[in-house]
Amino acid sequence: MIHAIAGIVIRDLHRLTRQRGRFIGGLARPFLWVFLVGAGFEGIARTGDGYRAFAYPGGIAMAALFGGMLTGISTVYDREFGMLRLLLASPFGVRAALLGRLVSATLVGTAQGTVVLALAPLVLPMSPARFATGLLALVLVSAASAALGLLVASRLASVDSFGGVINVVLFPLLFTSGAFYPVATMPPLLRAAASANPITYMVDLLRHALARDPEFALSADLTVLAATAVVSLIIAAVGFDPERRIIGKKAQR
Amino acid sequence: MTAAISAIGLGRDYADQRALVHLDLEVAPGGLVGLLGPNGAGKTTTMLLLATLLAPTRGTAALFGHDVVAARAAARRTLGLVFQEPSIDGLLTVEENLRFAGRLQDLGGAALTTAVHDAMQRTGLLEKRDVRAARLSGGWRRLVDVARATLHHPQLLMLDEPTVGLDPEHRDALWHFLADERRTRGTTILFSTHYLEEAEPADRVLLLARGSAVADGTPAQLQAGVGATVVEIEGPDTAAAIDRFRQTGALTTTITRQRTVRLGLRLEAAAASHALGDFPALTRRVVRPPTLDDAYYAATRAGDAETP
Repeated sequence: MIHAIAGIVIRDLHRLTRQRGRFIGGLARPFLWVFLVGAGFEGIARTGDGYRAFAYPGGIAMAALFGGMLTGISTVYDREFGMLRLLLASPFGVRAALLGRLVSATLVGTAQGTVVLALAPLVLPMSPARFATGLLALVLVSAASAALGLLVASRLASVDSFGGVINVVLFPLLFTSGAFYPVATMPPLLRAAASANPITYMVDLLRHALARDPEFALSADLTVLAATAVVSLIIAAVGFDPERRIIGKKAQR
Repeated sequence: MTAAISAIGLGRDYADQRALVHLDLEVAPGGLVGLLGPNGAGKTTTMLLLATLLAPTRGTAALFGHDVVAARAAARRTLGLVFQEPSIDGLLTVEENLRFAGRLQDLGGAALTTAVHDAMQRTGLLEKRDVRAARLSGGWRRLVDVARATLHHPQLLMLDEPTVGLDPEHRDALWHFLADERRTRGTTILFSTHYLEEAEPADRVLLLARGSAVADGTPAQLQAGVGATVVEIEGPDTAAAIDRFRQTGALTTTITRQRTVRLGLRLEAAAASHALGDFPALTRRVVRPPTLDDAYYAATRAGDAETP
């Protein structure tokens, strides 16, 4: 099955290099947030090192989340040009399709996150050790994002556009997380939502890695993210109905 | 010898709709079998069931002895599939698409490189190897798709309406390639088509209508079922002519196509021409041998057909 998984990963990486707009777009969002919106927040919210420094780990997580989840969700799109049929009809079928996508989406998320991480010295004090721990954190954050993307893909019959998914899935997840405001100072309802949101732990893990005032224990972040990845993947695998992908919604009625 | 395809009572429902009612099919290795039928006849469902992509509601099927449900992975290894929509990623080059498909079939390293090169050579794609698939014309994309489906040397190749939308040149190239595969590798080929003339070279044709096989045989057998001769008539005497042939017991089939009525007759051409001479008011009188087209309409529009 190793060749099949390698094939899927190589294909997704080829696609990434051919769709530079998507890669760059995935990077533009965190920078827009941190530097544009952050500049506005800077004036009203005076924390120790300023809002940009506070929000930067969230920006890194955002880049990895978008890269990982959107690549995972692209499984839905494959149905539309016959590629998913090809995957499902291959000897390893659904298993290879999901595992291959998990690996490629993790790589894409890590790649996007790494670009934002590399520019961290613009706002944060960095050291080689922090880059290294940051990169390790990114791999786990991206893997959890990739698995979440596969979970979303297994539930959707089709999507009209990535824009829709971003608005309905990604932004709500981000805005109810600890990415852009500390969980501790949230109103109780939002705090409850943030505590149940895996994105909160992705951001917190990056705060640990970059030594930026984490709010949860490192073990809590690692446990939640590993569990998110494993449980999402299992639900995606169980809930992935190949027949629905093949004959489509219309034929099922 | 184990059959390439063996289906017994195969059927599939979608919700309350019976897409394939009941199919018995046995195909020997090396066969070239055409599935013919109107839209909604069950051709695609048959292929998806045999390709292990849909689970049967009824019955069983096996490819080279591997059950499509119980031994799905083994059944898939015998298969090359060409779907109605090409399974080609437009963002990837021709060669990248083929390498991707080869890896899905568990090919790697030198074996993969050889298989991809060989497939490009046989389909004339070598000079387009670095072109992105999205920039290819529909005909070339289809050839990439066929190269993709055959690069791992499947024992059984299934093609669902492979020539739809192709210009004659690419259609010829495709059939030429398939004939070659069959000759050099003994590949068994099952294809569906709307084009009746494409089914002529098949050594067996299965006519499907409303989810069931309505005729099964060689093209010659199916044509013979219509009778020895077909006449096409139009005009005021049409009804009278039909009555006459029916009374003399010569009539096998009537097929109404717009104003023209085709009659299948158990008469030689000369006798049929002679008989038509009694109806001077006919505005059209064509006497010809039966075609697969006649067999197709006779069998799929069963309501119009006279059964002797």
